[in-house]
Amino acid sequence: MSALTLELKKRGAERLDLSPLVPLNLVGMTPKDIQAIPIGTTRERTTVGDVFKIKGNEAHTLRLVGTDSSCDRIGRALTEGEILVDGDAGAYVGAGMSGGKIKVKGNAGASTGGSMIGGEIEIGGDSGERTGGVADGESLGMRGGRIVVCGNVGDVVGHRMRRGTIIVGGNAGDYAGGWMIAGTIMIDGKVGRLAGYGLRRGTLILAKQPRQLLPTFAESGKIDFNYLRLLGRQLDKDGLVSKLPFRARRLMGDMAVLGKGEMLILA
Amino acid sequence: MAMSKLKLKGVNIVETFAEAFPMVGTRIVITASTPAWALTAARTMTGFATSVIACGAEAGIERKLSPKETPDGRPGIAVLLFAMDTDKLQRQLRNRVGQCVLTSPGSACFSGLDGEKSLKLGSSLRFFGDGWQVSKVINGRRYWRIPVMDGEFVCEEKTGLTKKAVGGGNLLVLGKSHQAVLAACERAVKAIDDVPGAITPFPGGIVRSGSKVGSKYKGQIASTNDAYCPTLKGAVKTELPPEIEAVLEIVIDGLTAADVAAAMRAGIHAIAAGGAKQGVTHISAGNYGGNLGPHHFHLKEIIA
Repeated sequence: MSALTLELKKRGAERLDLSPLVPLNLVGMTPKDIQAIPIGTTRERTTVGDVFKIKGNEAHTLRLVGTDSSCDRIGRALTEGEILVDGDAGAYVGAGMSGGKIKVKGNAGASTGGSMIGGEIEIGGDSGERTGGVADGESLGMRGGRIVVCGNVGDVVGHRMRRGTIIVGGNAGDYAGGWMIAGTIMIDGKVGRLAGYGLRRGTLILAKQPRQLLPTFAESGKIDFNYLRLLGRQLDKDGLVSKLPFRARRLMGDMAVLGKGEMLILA
Repeated sequence: MAMSKLKLKGVNIVETFAEAFPMVGTRIVITASTPAWALTAARTMTGFATSVIACGAEAGIERKLSPKETPDGRPGIAVLLFAMDTDKLQRQLRNRVGQCVLTSPGSACFSGLDGEKSLKLGSSLRFFGDGWQVSKVINGRRYWRIPVMDGEFVCEEKTGLTKKAVGGGNLLVLGKSHQAVLAACERAVKAIDDVPGAITPFPGGIVRSGSKVGSKYKGQIASTNDAYCPTLKGAVKTELPPEIEAVLEIVIDGLTAADVAAAMRAGIHAIAAGGAKQGVTHISAGNYGGNLGPHHFHLKEIIA
């Protein structure tokens, strides 16, 4: 038994909606059944068999090979199992997912992990705007789980995020943590303009001092945070971040809204 | 005193049993910036917790933890706390952590037990934050960050509860001199310190005032165990041979009956290690005839 593998054999003109391709739906299906699943987004009625070559049969782990940025909604509403993407991904990777794991080797489009409730997403490259933000038809952003982006993220990472953790290895665009309700975002690189805009609760952990700080964030000094020790220990255990500093400068905000959020700028 | 044929290094092991009772228990982990401050917080929290008769709980330090063993990577102490029912344990936990750990410089407090049921820890103490407290979830566990004057008190939301705990495991050590009995008991307490899941809640782990149930005085629920008082040998139905000058007791609480048995075994061997020459003559145990407590730890079986 080997992992069920779908290899993109030809790139169509239309965008693809890969949301039906989640392990729970595919378990027990024959290759013929899988080939017949519609994934088109136009009147052409494109099916899996039209664009993917199928190999393997163990559907608990699904491998997508050679995908590109037109492959949207990979792992949308995933509840269990694993999806490994050997290529790029389009928008809404893992949006609304509540469990399982998605690993994308390349880049991902907008709204990665949008409104997700649980599970884990790992993006090897960059991720687009509103990573961990609000998915289509939802009113809140990410509500649980973890997103790790090794590269950069676009604007408004964690838009209206309510719970969960986002870790960004690279830079973030403007409005990082914008309108965030709670949760944790950690950014190792630089952040764009207006980080923490509208932050109600929640934590923005920044490895680098932002070039511009919102005037509605209140200086609260530098101390050693035991919370950062706890977090650092867990991230170290998970092989994500080693030796996270625990001394940080705390700014509270956004005072223009509730003001119970914080920006921790690592010393 | 029951006849004893069993001896360990010349010390008589009386053919009797310790009668113990079901309790509810929990473990918490206290950390601080130095081992000394973790110990201070733990000692303060476990103070006045020798017996449920009047302290509300029985508590003690289970063991020291290295930074590698604690959630925040700082030096720590594992503390066990026991009570007769869940409500009492909850109240004692809240008051003791709130008054003795939250107040201790640089401290943090974490769950030390993953039980099926749980007790509130940070979820009740968070209100001290007066609205400035912050909740963070790390790896599925919720922690509260409560602002205090030296920074933040980090406290896990809840800790596990076990209803399989056992309280009142005990050893009675009889000897020809107070000095000999005390030295033997000190060895036993040290040996029990190494047994996981068990504590000896009395001062230094040792009780000099073993009690019996009831009293001649109305309202006094426990009174001196006259059968083991050397000065009353001539007046009461004594359990002591004529040469006995002192008796000390070691009371043991454990998260499971197996933990109590292991602690008693370690204690007996440590007491007997000095041999009869050093003045300890008998190792016995206290019971109420076997009718009150469901756990009977027979000394003969314990050392088998």
